[in-house]
Amino acid sequence: MTRQARVQRFRSVEEMSRAPVLTPADGSFERFVQLCARLRALAPDEYPRGVFKFRTLEEAQAARRDRHQSSR
Amino acid sequence: MSREELLRVLGAFEAAGLEYVLVGATAMAFHGVVRATEDVDLFVRATPENIGRLRAALRNAYDDDPNIDAITADDLLGDYPAVRYYPPSGDLFLDILTRLGEVASFDSITMEYKEVEGIRVRVATPAALYRLKRNTVRPLDRQDAEMLRQRFHLGETEGSE
Repeated sequence: MTRQARVQRFRSVEEMSRAPVLTPADGSFERFVQLCARLRALAPDEYPRGVFKFRTLEEAQAARRDRHQSSR
Repeated sequence: MSREELLRVLGAFEAAGLEYVLVGATAMAFHGVVRATEDVDLFVRATPENIGRLRAALRNAYDDDPNIDAITADDLLGDYPAVRYYPPSGDLFLDILTRLGEVASFDSITMEYKEVEGIRVRVATPAALYRLKRNTVRPLDRQDAEMLRQRFHLGETEGSE
């Protein structure tokens, strides 16, 4: 990690909690999969199965947002 | 997202000779910018042959899941350049893209190779990721862009190839 990256500034706690963690690139894959597993454990979500098609990225993002909202 | 599943998918991509590039949080992780995610985002080269490789790789990784038949070159090369595949594992999903409006396609994204567990992984460069994320509307993407900018000292014009 670079010296400049040791301090990260945030305007809010929400912004801080969403922020990626800066780590040395070596070993970051392991940290990544651990974080993803933790996310699944803390916020389990039942995904549908199969293939869904979208004309635009915005459509894809909206579908994801809608699914999250409907599963709450 | 399980480690084993992700490695199995990446290994299947390599074995199939798929022309792809990882973008999104999975790609950022290979550069040391780590946040949790539920999905694996990738661009694939938009040719019928390559979409055939994609299907072969996914069939290999997911035990011939019949849903994979619904991923077609007609769609990805035509009106549906974004396909979301939810595998039977239920543990992650894949967002597969051939183009992003006029902004990006497989050919426009600079990539580099990373290696994990002996698997060669094709990953967008930090500058390419920054370019993809800096002008999007999602706050999460803008925050990712800012982290990439800080980490790799990227300027406003960076990645605008």
